[in-house]
Amino acid sequence: MKTEFAFVALPISALIAPSAFAVQYLTVDQAQRSIYPGKSFTAASVKLTSVQRKAIQQASGVRVLRDDQQVWRVSGGGWFIVDEVVGKHEFITYAVGLNADGSVRQIEIMDYRETYGGQIRDQKWRAQFVGKNSRSTLKLDSDIKNISGATLSCRHITDGVKRLLAFYEIALKH
Amino acid sequence: MRRCRPLLGTFVEIAAQARDEAKLVRGIEAAFDAVGQVHRLMSFHDPESDVSRMNRDAFPRGITVHPWTWQVMNAAKNFARESDGAFDLAVAPQLVAWNYLPRRGYGFNSAASWRDIFLRKNCEVFFCRPVIVDLGGIAKGFAVDRAIEALKDNGVVRGIVNAGGDLRTFGPASQLIHVRHPTKPTRVAGVVRLRERAMATSGIYFERRKHHGQYVSPLLDGRTGQSVRRLISVSVAAAECMAADALTKIVFALREEAAGLLAQYRADALLLERDGAPSWTFHSSCDTRDQSRFD
Repeated sequence: MKTEFAFVALPISALIAPSAFAVQYLTVDQAQRSIYPGKSFTAASVKLTSVQRKAIQQASGVRVLRDDQQVWRVSGGGWFIVDEVVGKHEFITYAVGLNADGSVRQIEIMDYRETYGGQIRDQKWRAQFVGKNSRSTLKLDSDIKNISGATLSCRHITDGVKRLLAFYEIALKH
Repeated sequence: MRRCRPLLGTFVEIAAQARDEAKLVRGIEAAFDAVGQVHRLMSFHDPESDVSRMNRDAFPRGITVHPWTWQVMNAAKNFARESDGAFDLAVAPQLVAWNYLPRRGYGFNSAASWRDIFLRKNCEVFFCRPVIVDLGGIAKGFAVDRAIEALKDNGVVRGIVNAGGDLRTFGPASQLIHVRHPTKPTRVAGVVRLRERAMATSGIYFERRKHHGQYVSPLLDGRTGQSVRRLISVSVAAAECMAADALTKIVFALREEAAGLLAQYRADALLLERDGAPSWTFHSSCDTRDQSRFD
């Protein structure tokens, strides 16, 4: 067993102290190939009516913040959806693949941004990343690859998927 | 290749390299499948999981569980015994009372503990008094170990699996791991270099909440039933992530008194105070290659 363990005790002033931790895992294209390898995708934008929004909110118990949703129809059946969630400390773009019967096939995190101190709630801060997924090479703090620390919960993703399943039932299925 | 999926209630990230891409994709898929399997077996929330089945039915008759669940239960019991109950897999009633876990209406005896859990051959689990178990303090580490195994089995040559801060590396090169600051968790307070080794960190920064005017956290000292309120962070490095995961909880409760147990598992520990400065570090001295080093 070869092990190398060293703690670098740096003076506090010299610590690497990023204000935001961010990773980009997948572009839209890569997420599509990961969830549905070998398939083709037809983009469609769905605009929700206020009645639909309310119905989704009621069915999922999760607030619907936007009335447009970026979706793709998958060749041979199924859907590919890109969505965003905002937590207290995190702003995450993720992709969900739905099977033809509406069940979840796979979830992939595409973009993960974490910060402390209110930035996440700032529309302008978030706006700089929106829509950057498809070809962006935006990478912050790329020298920090691995973080050990207590768990940040994925509850917002769980809620987001609940909302998307209701969205499927109400706006996509028919 | 670097992938991340929501599993085990957190974000599980797998970064890996292999000589050909097909192997790599297969390996990463198998690793996520292993984590998904642990999630399904050991989730407290899922009524179909082994953990839920045990909590419903292991008293008084006993039930058969998946070999992985049995293995984790066995390890959890050993850690409970070795830490004299500081690590306790039966603290779920308190976590339910504080709303960290959902109310499921399980019966329990408030005097019961991990000592009432019996593991028999053929993967049978039996409670001799009704207890409610939660494997939240150890299952993540076990999942990381199974994911690493899946990567290796598929011919992946190097990689790292990180389940919300509980991680393990393999391959020839060492990797830099940044440890969260105990009170400013999106900042970094320490850097650790790991090779072929696991590390887990426990802190309460994201999870502390008020209950009847008192701060509580899901980290409990099983001996007293009191929750940890100190805003510190404990990191433990060990060969296996399951051991690292369980040992962080023990060091949180026992601090320096955990040294003997750490040495037994050839583990290293790092305790950061609320200002981010290390207040206690422990290195197991095994053979010289294993010897840890402080700069």
